[in-house]
Amino acid sequence: MILAVAFLNYSFAAEAITAVEIVGKANQASYYQAEDGKAEVRMVITDSLGRTRERVMVILRKDASEGDQQKYYVYFNKPSDVKGMTYLVWKKPGADDDRWMYLPALDLVRRIAAGDKRSSFVGSNFAYEDISGRGTEEDEHTLLGEEEGQYKIKSVPKNPGSVEFSYFLIWVDKVTFMPKKAELYDKSGNLYKILEALEIKEVQGFPTVTKMKATDLVSGGNTVSEFSNIEYDIGLDEKIFTERSLRRPPRKYIKG
Amino acid sequence: MKIKEVLGKISFTTTLAMMIFFVPAVGLAEKLPRLHGFMEHAGSARFGSDDVRHRQFNLGESRLQLKTDYYFSGDNILSDWQTGIEAKVDLTLDYYDAGKVLTDIRELNVSFTPMDIIDIKAGRQVLTWGTGDYLFLNDLFPKDYVSFFIGRDDEYLKKPNDALRVMMYPDWFNIDCALVPFFEPNTMPTGHRVSYFDTFTGGISGVNAERDIVEPSKTAKNFTYAGRIYRNFGSYETAMYYYGGFDPAPRSYKNEVGRQLYHERLDAYGGSVRGPFFGGIGNAEISYYYSPEDKDGNIRTIQNSMIKYLAGYEKDMGGDLTLAAQYYLEETLDYDNYRKALLPADYRWDEFRHVVTARITKLFANQTVRVSLFSFFSPNDLDAYLRPSLVRKVTDAWTLSVGANLPWGKDSWTEFGSVQKNKNVYVRLRYSF
Repeated sequence: MILAVAFLNYSFAAEAITAVEIVGKANQASYYQAEDGKAEVRMVITDSLGRTRERVMVILRKDASEGDQQKYYVYFNKPSDVKGMTYLVWKKPGADDDRWMYLPALDLVRRIAAGDKRSSFVGSNFAYEDISGRGTEEDEHTLLGEEEGQYKIKSVPKNPGSVEFSYFLIWVDKVTFMPKKAELYDKSGNLYKILEALEIKEVQGFPTVTKMKATDLVSGGNTVSEFSNIEYDIGLDEKIFTERSLRRPPRKYIKG
Repeated sequence: MKIKEVLGKISFTTTLAMMIFFVPAVGLAEKLPRLHGFMEHAGSARFGSDDVRHRQFNLGESRLQLKTDYYFSGDNILSDWQTGIEAKVDLTLDYYDAGKVLTDIRELNVSFTPMDIIDIKAGRQVLTWGTGDYLFLNDLFPKDYVSFFIGRDDEYLKKPNDALRVMMYPDWFNIDCALVPFFEPNTMPTGHRVSYFDTFTGGISGVNAERDIVEPSKTAKNFTYAGRIYRNFGSYETAMYYYGGFDPAPRSYKNEVGRQLYHERLDAYGGSVRGPFFGGIGNAEISYYYSPEDKDGNIRTIQNSMIKYLAGYEKDMGGDLTLAAQYYLEETLDYDNYRKALLPADYRWDEFRHVVTARITKLFANQTVRVSLFSFFSPNDLDAYLRPSLVRKVTDAWTLSVGANLPWGKDSWTEFGSVQKNKNVYVRLRYSF
């Protein structure tokens, strides 16, 4: 009897992980590791003719003590015409993010209308959502099966008018819950964009994507992002994520 | 053998030279701050029949901007205070003025944090606050409207100040104070490069404009003080502003016969709010301009007090398309007194001046092309100003900008009507490093 219950429990535990739970855990693993973090990001954007552009920035992140809200601070190092530009995002899943940008040459703090999370992040093949995460509640998730130690999930947007894809497929590692790959399909059902985690390393015990790639199959361009000098739980002060730091970057974390 | 000896000597000398020069040079290069900036060539074609120095163009220049910064490190107080030095200088070869070379120090300041909640920045710096887009109410820091009208980059609309800026960040609100010892006026059209309506000649004037602008003397009683108290309430940014100094544009008459204008004293008190509004960003700002030299508005040669109102809205439409609109109202106070004080030959300004603006911006080709149109229109003055532009980031380093400045007015004495002869098309090619 006891054995039967234990067995039932076991099989329940093994099978009952739902697609929503997997996506939720994948979201946590990708965007919410530790309480805060810092990374240097180098993006190389390559167009269909092989011409490249480079973006280099430092990103600081701090999670709210409760809930899914996060604050991001970005300091641009390259290209040189935007060096010193800073960017602040208060991310609010389920609502519009608050975004500010600081232009040092004008001493101007601009408020940025945050409507379209699908628009390109700094001209790369990544969308804003690819960088800061997409709310798990925005799609219906279906577990299609398992492939090579990964869950394969199909996600269909609840509000199709708000996005350019009709659905996407996502492969999530069964052990670490790191998303390994995503394929986006357009309104006619054709694959048009691939996101891949090219390299995952363990940093302070957290599995972390250190290299990822977005490929645009329509334009033929791609963007490779490399993350370096990653640190977690560095005790970032809440006050860093304010207008003060837009004007006066926290030098302790930003070099160059 | 000889060759070997020579080679040996060369390699010895080279090694020595490297040790003497190169090694310390590397050490120095690591310590020396890096140099950034750009090289830009800019030119414009103008369509005017006025009498400025060159009718065919009002912009022709090669500009080198160099900027650097340095932050102290190590175990000392300068490092503890996160002390930094910023410098930015523009060297311009100006073809408009027969190849004159101009040096413009745009930034030269030191910043430090002597206490956890205090940042100080002293020296030459650009100061900006307020919520308007090309419309300034509480931002009474100096502007260069000549650069604006002839097609220079937006950076040059703002002139630097020599200022002491103290920013305080206690828990409940933030305080931002600026002391500007020597008043810096706006750069306004003088007829040399940009023609304008001159009340003394009674028409749009170029080099024939005759006026003498008297600036406040450089004394302690003429210091300019500006302050802002601000804080966020959730997603909403609120601010209160103060300015005590002089009108940055010379709008009052010192001596009409002598054709002398001057910057009358001006105190401004204002407030603003900005935050999410109907799926976009809304902003509202108000400013009361108090004219202490003409308190009741009955001195016809001095500007009256005013109230300025602004409401704006911006929305991201998706697909890298952004739309924005603003409504701006200027109300002259004590208007009856002003009207009664006027002489028969004087120009009479309206009690209310309304301006609406619209900005459309669309990005193309992975955000490497930005097409934008900014337009001003005043329904009571019946004047307008269109600023279309196209900016192409050819590579990370090369930027090509083309655009136009198209002011228009039914009359020649209104804000944009005054500069209507300066319609131009400009091109700028910039290499950033």
